[in-house]
Amino acid sequence: MDLKTTRNRIQVFLLLLPGILMFSIFTVYPIIKLFVMSFYRWELGSFHKQEFIWFQNYSAVLSDEVFRISFINTLLYTIITVPGQMILGLLAAVLINSLPRFQIPFRVIYYLPVITPWVIASLVFKYIFNTEGMLNYILYEVLHLTNRNIAWLDSRWSGMFVTEILGIWKGVGWNMVVFLAALKSVPMELYEVADLDGCGSIKKFLYVTLPCIKNTILFAMVMLTIGGFNVFTSIKLITDGKPLHRTETVLTWMYYKAFRSGKFGYAAALSFIVVVTLILLAALQFRIMKNRNEEGFI
Amino acid sequence: MKHGHTFRVGRLLCYIILILGGITSVLPMVYMLGTSLKPNGALYEYPPKIFPHLNVITIENYIYVLTKEKFHINFINSVIVSVSTIILAAAISTSLAFCIARFRFPGRNLLFGIVIGTMIIPGTTLIITQFELASFLRVINKLTGLIPFYVAWVIPFSTFMIKGFIENIPREFDQAVYIDGGSVFTVFFKIAVPLASPAIASVSIFNFLTAWEEFQWALTVLNDNAKRTFPIAISGFFGQHQFTQWGYVFAMSVTSLIPVLLIFIFFQKYFIAGLTAGGIKG
Repeated sequence: MDLKTTRNRIQVFLLLLPGILMFSIFTVYPIIKLFVMSFYRWELGSFHKQEFIWFQNYSAVLSDEVFRISFINTLLYTIITVPGQMILGLLAAVLINSLPRFQIPFRVIYYLPVITPWVIASLVFKYIFNTEGMLNYILYEVLHLTNRNIAWLDSRWSGMFVTEILGIWKGVGWNMVVFLAALKSVPMELYEVADLDGCGSIKKFLYVTLPCIKNTILFAMVMLTIGGFNVFTSIKLITDGKPLHRTETVLTWMYYKAFRSGKFGYAAALSFIVVVTLILLAALQFRIMKNRNEEGFI
Repeated sequence: MKHGHTFRVGRLLCYIILILGGITSVLPMVYMLGTSLKPNGALYEYPPKIFPHLNVITIENYIYVLTKEKFHINFINSVIVSVSTIILAAAISTSLAFCIARFRFPGRNLLFGIVIGTMIIPGTTLIITQFELASFLRVINKLTGLIPFYVAWVIPFSTFMIKGFIENIPREFDQAVYIDGGSVFTVFFKIAVPLASPAIASVSIFNFLTAWEEFQWALTVLNDNAKRTFPIAISGFFGQHQFTQWGYVFAMSVTSLIPVLLIFIFFQKYFIAGLTAGGIKG
């Protein structure tokens, strides 16, 4: 509507003011500052020796061996956990949706890992996967599948694997709830038509359900990809980048460079590379899904 | 007959899969609870048990963390930070959402663009410059160093959700107030806030969880144990002791999980509403 009176204009301004102030000070200013900082030699504790160095921080990041390792780790974490959570979450949603009763208890139980704080879940997983922990006991002493206790957390791939299992375990419930809502919004008539055409459950799932929940799939994929690149707490607590920075992810490496080495300029350039990667990935996902949209889902 | 039979087998299989998934979902937490109730003698007991025998169950770990480690201080810090965050975030996001949903003003599209854009950027990427800002504002090692940053983090999502909800409130309600001589404030407090309260409640629950469990920013800003929130207290305790006393760590963890579980149980319908609102539907 139009704001005709001065009183109303002032009131709208007053309502907007706190939000705009919060955004400007705590979000927009840090983004701009980060961009500027990424072009400077900027180190913690030596605030007066800042020097404009063009793209040197960016080239330092891109030629850094640990950055390459951490980027690949993050990418693999995302490639493994995003489909893992989505497929299991969708499976759980489809199964729960088909139940005549007990839907709510299952929904509650599957959602518990989602609300468990990351710090707590990470420590529990560290405890289970510890060399003297429960998992090794079961694999070695009970099932005799391994011939010794495996040091899960002491090598790159198995260390990352533990955090990926945690990521999937913690994310299935969110996907389940989101997909369950989408499944309930699929019009029943479509299934009835498919029934008349003699489609079985799998055909119905492929040709009715999936196209109808396409937007939800896209939404979940974009949100989870952002989440995957955001992985921090579990890595920090479970492996802490060990051994020798082989299990760092982009953000844990950024954090290390900023707050352990004090290289703010380097870390700022790294942060920007992460942000740009995420924007590109989100755009790519939208594009792929849009093409799918025109061709039908499969 | 045959059809009915496969149908029943299918349903049984469905329950078996769901129950196995359910066990996987809760087992790590049950193991944690079990460990927190064991006497904290050996580092790793052998053979390990998920849950201790009923006659050795003890709450000595809980007594230790609350008396010796003063964990209740960290717990109270977390409560202060989370409650302040949700109150401020609810007030600020509701007013922003109301203005964006109802009025045209210069910079409206830019503002909404920033709201959407900042949802894509991971909060941790801004941690360096936010840390400099916090030093400049002299809020390092203070709880006030957490609250405004948490509020700024949760505002985009909250505004987005509440805006979607307010747009569905018929404008005739607003018109009626204006015709009666009411102002923008009257519409805001008498129409928008009461009618959008379900959306405000559900984003507030999510904001509570975000603030309650936040780790990296609190790790960066707080050093002093008396100022720490519970995630930093737990991880700090964990890091200090070379031979980790898991019983203590998990006693702290269970204690800090209780408020989350209570909120989840009492506000379950808002959880679901919050996740399914805002155009996520297929």
